Amino acid sequence: MIAFLARRALSTVPTLVGITILTFAILNLLPTDPIQVWSGGGSYSAEAAEHLRSELRLEQGVAARYASWGFALLRGDLGRSLRDGRTVASVIAGALPWSLLLNLCSVLLIYGVSVPFGLFGASSPGSVADRLGHLILLLLYAVPSFAAALILQQWFAVRLGWLPLHGVSAQGASSVERAWDLARHLALPTACLALSGWAIVARYSRAAFRSLLNREFLAVARAKGLSRLRAYGHVTANAAVPFVTLLATILPGLVGGSVIVEQVFSLPGVGRLYLTSVEARDYPVVLGLTLLSAVLVLAGQLLVDVLYLIVDPRIREGLLGDRGDVH
Amino acid sequence: MRIPPRGRAKFPLALFALAVLSSCTASSPPEIPRSTAPPEYGGRFVFPLRTEPATLNFVTASDQPSDLVARLVGDSLVDRDVDLNVVPRLAASWEFADGGRTLTFHLRPGVRFHDGHPLTSADVKYTYERVIDKTSHALARLDGFLPVERVETPDERTVRVVYRFPYAPALSGWEMPILPRHLYEGEDFLTSRYNRAPIGSGPFRFISWEPGRRILLAANLDYWAGRPYLDTLDLEIIPSQETTLQALLAGEVDYAALTPVQWEAHSKDPSFLRRFATVQYLSLFFYYIAWRTDGTNPFFTDPDVRRAMTLALDREGYVRTVLRGFGQVPDSIFHPAILPPDPELRPLGYDPRAAAALLDRAGWRLDPGSGLRRKDGTAFRFTLLIYGGAEEHVQYSGRNYAGFHDPQIDAWLQDGRRTVDPVARTVLYRSIARRLDDLQPYTYLFFPATRAALSRRIADIRPSPRGIIVQYPGVTRLRLSRPEGG
Repeated sequence: MIAFLARRALSTVPTLVGITILTFAILNLLPTDPIQVWSGGGSYSAEAAEHLRSELRLEQGVAARYASWGFALLRGDLGRSLRDGRTVASVIAGALPWSLLLNLCSVLLIYGVSVPFGLFGASSPGSVADRLGHLILLLLYAVPSFAAALILQQWFAVRLGWLPLHGVSAQGASSVERAWDLARHLALPTACLALSGWAIVARYSRAAFRSLLNREFLAVARAKGLSRLRAYGHVTANAAVPFVTLLATILPGLVGGSVIVEQVFSLPGVGRLYLTSVEARDYPVVLGLTLLSAVLVLAGQLLVDVLYLIVDPRIREGLLGDRGDVH
Repeated sequence: MRIPPRGRAKFPLALFALAVLSSCTASSPPEIPRSTAPPEYGGRFVFPLRTEPATLNFVTASDQPSDLVARLVGDSLVDRDVDLNVVPRLAASWEFADGGRTLTFHLRPGVRFHDGHPLTSADVKYTYERVIDKTSHALARLDGFLPVERVETPDERTVRVVYRFPYAPALSGWEMPILPRHLYEGEDFLTSRYNRAPIGSGPFRFISWEPGRRILLAANLDYWAGRPYLDTLDLEIIPSQETTLQALLAGEVDYAALTPVQWEAHSKDPSFLRRFATVQYLSLFFYYIAWRTDGTNPFFTDPDVRRAMTLALDREGYVRTVLRGFGQVPDSIFHPAILPPDPELRPLGYDPRAAAALLDRAGWRLDPGSGLRRKDGTAFRFTLLIYGGAEEHVQYSGRNYAGFHDPQIDAWLQDGRRTVDPVARTVLYRSIARRLDDLQPYTYLFFPATRAALSRRIADIRPSPRGIIVQYPGVTRLRLSRPEGG
């Protein structure tokens, strides 16, 4: 098992290097000059510009710059932001927790609603409730997230005043109050991210449960006197494999989707940082973020591989060939 | 044709105009007005920022939000009031000598930084030295200091600036907030902790910066001009203009710049107007097309062809429909607030037939087959570059993207820079504007307008062409009609 994982992890390294080369090349192909951005439109001396160019090694070739960036990275140094002089690591570390928290909450919300919904739909297929529920989820899916965000803000923050309009904070006397404050601030953006995920996951889980519910083993189990609930427990375990696959595809999507949501809800996360850095031609931060998301996507795939091994003994046998280890 | 959608691609012609005309305004400035009514102190004013400041170092900042915070926390020798007149801040007075080559500032007595350390001429000199130091990355501040020969500090309260030649726009550069030398010395200038927690001598002290969220400022109770009326100034970072409007409606912010759609939806709604006042102003910069007149292409060396290009563009129509009235077609290269409009100068109207006639006369004849105009086998076809900080915008001298060179205008510019008499300068700059209108090296597109709504609890505020915050005394004298809390 360890050997398998090590092999799998090693095989992602070339992909990672390829992604960084591509990003570096694209950023350097852009016809932009950070010095023009920095000068803010005024005149400056050729001498000052020359100095900055040499500091940024703009006169060296792209390959040389990539090599020095790569070597620094091997020492764990991502460089410094051109925009504010902080280290790239600290800039990203400031934004990452917010995005992770937001995405984690929305994944939980998506699965927490969709899986029971799918199970319900599968157990009473074609019923009015099944069809109506499905229609509602599809409608929610069709709403673009920027529009959904505005509507949620309008209703729950401006008219009803139940939830904060935007921003994040965790203030309060006790840790319970702080958590409550944080939860209130995250409620609308989390809901906004979940809206479009519900329909997909519900549809997916309904199909998965339905194919399983028709299986004979369920009928046998029920005939043997197993309660409906226990029987469903077996179904859920069997349905886990497709869900794990779905998780791998949904994770990167949530990172991408949070650019809009972070923008509208003024959350200081990775998506907004990306946008600001691209606009400011802050190459080191853009590279650092690209590297980070590449690592996350590849790590997500690795995680899914591991989850497969855990949830499905058949895959474990096929991959590892260690039959003796099963059960 | 594409036009940069946002103010990011800021064209500095009008700023340049502001600089060259700065000494048109009186140099014996008025005292800061003091209200005779019993002042109402207290309250929190919440102002939204679209983008987060890059740094709070007063001199390396090149973005607008950084500059805005620097002007509140820091204090400069001079500033501009709501009508862009130069007014004193740290410098109680100043005088030009040596035909305009020497500028002497007399600092106010007893000014202290927020940490209690006295501010002296040494701090002014230090700030100047950081700007011209090429390791400081202070490109955006360099403009006004390139002609400086040296800065002298005869005593603690006198700063003498010697220019290499008489330099009429000299005062503009000194709108720069003064750094505390005693804190920055011994720190790495680019990574100093004071770049994120600044200490200045301005009307507001820095309290906190929550990255991506807000910057909190509080009144400097020991400010030399008297404490600001407000207790705190809260700069909320809200990237979305939609969210900003919702925040205004929910009472979370006191100001919101509106999009054209928002303006149309709300600016005539009585219930909205009961709660909010509306303001509008024309930005100082404008968008333009610079025609490459330097012979690198066969089209735009001919002034008639350039004039045809301007005539062929429906600029009024663009402002009316695409911008929904959020702009104004420039009459001249100078913003109306800087140089009073010239009655003899009118923008060229939209006249495609006159444009076609000019092109025919210049030898660019319509080829019915391709629909293109041709001359000697060359098709009239060119690429329009949109500003984005790109290297392709080859620089000539300064920002002369058109590669435009006219000995007459150069001579007038030289004269204008050395002419201290405001009337003579106005005459000179009007001549420049008219000659540019004749030769059309640029097609001026529009000054973007800002339209905003602000909370009714704010009494007496008028936007300058640089907004409601960037003016002096501005927010220092801002009062809330119903102060919150104690």
